[in-house]
Amino acid sequence: MSINFKQIEDKLKTEAKKLLEGGKVSIVLAYGKGYDEKHPMPYVARKMSDVENMVFNEFCTANMARYLVRYPRGTKIAIAVKPADSRAVIQLIQEEKIKREDLVILGIPVYGMKNFKTGETIDSKTTCGRYNPVIYDTLLGEEVHGQPVVSPYDVLAEYEKMDKDARWAFWKKELDRCIRCYACRKACPMCYCDPCFIDQNKPKWGEKSPESHGNLMYHLTRFHHLAGRCVDCGECSRACPVDIPLYLFHKKVAKECEEMFGQAAGMKIEDKPALVNFRVDDSDKILE
Amino acid sequence: MKKTNFQDISDLAAQLMGKGTLVAPVKEVAGFNFREISDAKQVDLNFYNTLMSPKSAFFPHTEDFVRYDKNKFVLDAQCVELNLKPVFLFGVRPCDAKSFEIMDIHFSGTGAVDPYWKKRREATTIFGYAFDPNTPADGADFYSTLNIGAADPEGSDIFMMKKGDELLLQAVTPKGETLLSSLSSLVDASKDDEKYFDDTIAAGHSFKTRFTCVDEKVIAKKLEDIFLKTEFWEKISDACLSCGACTFVCPTCYCFDICDETLFSKGVRRRVWDACMFTDFTLEASGHNPRTKVYQRLRQKICHKYSFHVRKYGVISCVGCGRCTRNCPVNIDIFSIVDQALKE
Amino acid sequence: MCSNNPYIPMPVEIIKIIDEVDTHDIKSFRLKFLSKEDEAKFKYLPGQFSELSVYGKGESPIGIASSPTEEGYVEFTVQRAGTIQSGLVTAALHDMNEGAKIGLRGPLGNSWPIEFLEKKNIVVVGGGFAFTTLRSLINYMLHKDNRSRFGEITVIYGARTPGLLLYKDELAVWEKRDDIKTIITVDKGDETWKGREGFVPAVCKDVAPSPKNAVAVICGPPIMIKFTLPVFFDLGFSKENILTSLEMRMKCGIGKCGRCNVGYKYVCSDGPVFSLAELDELPRDF
Repeated sequence: MSINFKQIEDKLKTEAKKLLEGGKVSIVLAYGKGYDEKHPMPYVARKMSDVENMVFNEFCTANMARYLVRYPRGTKIAIAVKPADSRAVIQLIQEEKIKREDLVILGIPVYGMKNFKTGETIDSKTTCGRYNPVIYDTLLGEEVHGQPVVSPYDVLAEYEKMDKDARWAFWKKELDRCIRCYACRKACPMCYCDPCFIDQNKPKWGEKSPESHGNLMYHLTRFHHLAGRCVDCGECSRACPVDIPLYLFHKKVAKECEEMFGQAAGMKIEDKPALVNFRVDDSDKILE
Repeated sequence: MKKTNFQDISDLAAQLMGKGTLVAPVKEVAGFNFREISDAKQVDLNFYNTLMSPKSAFFPHTEDFVRYDKNKFVLDAQCVELNLKPVFLFGVRPCDAKSFEIMDIHFSGTGAVDPYWKKRREATTIFGYAFDPNTPADGADFYSTLNIGAADPEGSDIFMMKKGDELLLQAVTPKGETLLSSLSSLVDASKDDEKYFDDTIAAGHSFKTRFTCVDEKVIAKKLEDIFLKTEFWEKISDACLSCGACTFVCPTCYCFDICDETLFSKGVRRRVWDACMFTDFTLEASGHNPRTKVYQRLRQKICHKYSFHVRKYGVISCVGCGRCTRNCPVNIDIFSIVDQALKE
Repeated sequence: MCSNNPYIPMPVEIIKIIDEVDTHDIKSFRLKFLSKEDEAKFKYLPGQFSELSVYGKGESPIGIASSPTEEGYVEFTVQRAGTIQSGLVTAALHDMNEGAKIGLRGPLGNSWPIEFLEKKNIVVVGGGFAFTTLRSLINYMLHKDNRSRFGEITVIYGARTPGLLLYKDELAVWEKRDDIKTIITVDKGDETWKGREGFVPAVCKDVAPSPKNAVAVICGPPIMIKFTLPVFFDLGFSKENILTSLEMRMKCGIGKCGRCNVGYKYVCSDGPVFSLAELDELPRDF
C-alpha cells in the first residue's frame, strides 16, 4: 500500500471547507502552495476561498503544532497533523498551552515524507517511527498497517557507539557550525518560552556570537529544556540551514527518558510531562 | 585576458596565497561556503552558489571593537586593530558582487563611514565568477528580475568564467589589472577566448530567472501604499517562524547588534549580526517594543529591502541570489511576496 | 582603528550624581571628559543624544540634558529601566558613585532646529521623564547670549506627582524669571503642593498659547502626546510647527545597525527630532 497524497489533499480541503462553513473553527492550520510544487508552505485558511490554495504532498513536512500558541487562547482551530505532529498537540495540551476543546484535529496517516531541501525520505530519521496520528477527530485517509515497524531510536546506533569523549567532541564540532539564526527553536512546537533564556540578559546565560561558548550554552540548554517533551518531529534539524543533526541529541534524551520514566512525550492527554511529574517510583538513574 | 586550465586552479590559488589571504568556496557539510584557504587544494569552483553569502569577507558575523577588563578603568580598554594582509575573494557570483556595491552605499557611501567595512573592502580584490550559462538557474534565484545578468562583471576586480575545461580571467578594474599581470601561473588567452568572454556576458543578459522586471520605484511606492494593510501582511506572514535564517544568509542584510561579551573579568565589545526577525531586535530598555508581532517584523524586512532602501539610497537592497528562499524552513519566497503586493 | 572610529567611546568621569525624584529611579549624571581633545571635539546642540557606555554591560542611548552653554561637563538624566531582557546599562549607572569612569559616544543625531526656532515664540511641552532634552533647549535659549534670539518662551511641564518632577531647583528659578513663562502641573498633588493640578493636555488647553509665529516642542509619554497634539491643532498650530523627539532602540547611533528605522528614516541619524509634518510622511511603526 502506498500513500495517496492527492486523496489526502482532497479530504483535507473537504474537511476544511466543512469546518469553516459551519463556523466550527475560525482557522484551519494546514499546508498551502509554495513557490513551486516541491516547496509547499504552512498555510492558514480563514475563509472558504482560502481552501483552494491548500495542498498536501510528500514535502509537507512542517509541524503545524508550532503555530497553535500564536493565536489567542480560545481561538477555535482545526489543525492538520501527521503522526509526530499529533504528539506535539498532545504535549501542548499536557502543558496547558492549548485546550483540547478548542481544537479539531485532522489526522494524516502517512509515511514516505521527503525533506524539501535534500529530497531525502525522512521516515527512519526524523519522524517518530509512527505511521498513524496518536490523536485525531477526523482521519484524512486510511490508517496505515503492515508497514515495517521501525524504532525511532534505530538511527542512534552509530551515535551510541561513541564514548563520552567522542560524543563531546562530536557535539563541539557540530555546534561550532551554528550560525545562531534560531531556526531550530522557532520551528520547534515545544519552544514557546517568551523570552527564550538565551535572549535574557538578567542574567545573561550565553553570548550572542556564534562561537563555542554561546553555541554550546544555547543548544545544550535547549536540548535539556526539551527532555521528556520532544516528540521527534525533526523540524529543528530540517530547519537548520547548516544541517546540524540536532535530532540525534533529542532522540537520545527521549530514549533515556522513556527508559527511566516509562513514558514517551505526547502520547496521552492525561499524562503529565515526565520531568514535571514526581512519582515515588521514578527512576533514580539520573543521580547515579 | 588570461586563462588557466580548470584543473590547475590550485596553482593559481597557491600563488594568491603567497600574496595574501585567499578566501574561496570550499565544500562543506551543508553546502559550499567562502572560507579562508589553508590548503590550495580546498578551493572548489564546482558550485552553484554558496550557502552563506560572501558578505562576511567585509562584514564578518562578529567584529571586535574593544577589549576590556571590567575591573579596570575605561582608560585601560584596548581598541582592537585590524591588520589585514591583501585579501583575494575568489569565485564571487555576479549577483553577490553586486551586493557589495549596494552595501557600500550604506556602510561607506552615505553618512558616517564604517571604518571596518571600508578597511576590509580596500584590502580586498574580488574575483567574480560568471554563472555557467549552460546550467539552468536554481529554482530559488531571481537575479535577472533585478537586472543582474548571469555573467555581469560589474562589482568585480577580475572576472572569471568557465570555458570548457579552461578558466578565463579578465581584469575589470586597475586593481585587478595589476594583480592579474603579476600572476605567472596564467597564460594569455586567445582572440577566440575574448570573443567567447564577450558573448557570454551578453548571453547572460538574456538568461532569465523567475519573475519579470518591475521598476524599483513602482515596487517602493506600492509597498509604502499598502504598509497599513495589516490583513495583507498578516496573510503573508502566517507561515513565518520569525527566525533569522533568511537574514543571516542574505548578502545585503546588514543589521547588527553591539554586544559586550565577558568571560570572567575580560571581555570584548564587538558587533554581531542581528536580524530584524528577532523579537528583541527593537526592544527598548523600558520594555516597549514597536514590533511585537511576526507580521510587523516581516513587513519591516520586506519594506526595508524593497521600499525604504529605494527611498533612502535609490536602490533595492536585494540581488535575487535566492538564498533566503533556499534556506527558509517554511519556504517563504521573498519576491513572491513582492509580486503579491504589486497585485494588491 | 582607534582614531576617528565612531564605535569607540571616549572616557569620561562621573563628577556629580543628582537623585532627581522621590522614587530614586531617575538620576542625573554629570560627566567630565578625561581628555581635553575629546572635550574640544564634543560640540553639541540641544536635542542630541549620546551612547553611554559601561564595558561589560553595553551602551545605552540617552538624550543630553545639559545645554552646550554649560561648560566643563555634559549631563544626562537616566531612568533605571529594564526587563529581564533589557536595561543593563541604566542599572549599572544607577549603581555607580561619583568618581566612576565610563565611556561616551557622541554627540549623535540631529538637534532641535535652533535656526528654525530663532525669532519665534517657543512653547515647550514636557511630560514626566521625557523632559531631559527640553531642559537642554530651555537652558540654551535662556542663556544671556542667546535669549534675545528667541521670542516669548512658554514652558508647560507635568509629572504624575510633585516628587516626580525633574530639575526642581531649576524649575523654581525659571518660575521667578520674567523672560520665561513656566507652568508646572502634576496629575495629583500632595499636602505640600500648592501648584496646579491636571493633565498636560488640559493645562495646554487652559494656557492656550498663541500659534502666531510660534513653534511647539513636545516631548512626553505616548499617551500625553496623543492627547496634547489635538489641543495644539485646535489652537491653530500647523504640523510644520510642532516638533517632537522619537524614541527607538538604538545601538550604533550613526545609522548603520539598522534597528531604529521608522520607514526610510533612521531615528538615530535622521532624527530623533522630527516635525509632525515629517512624521506624517512615515509609516506608523513606532
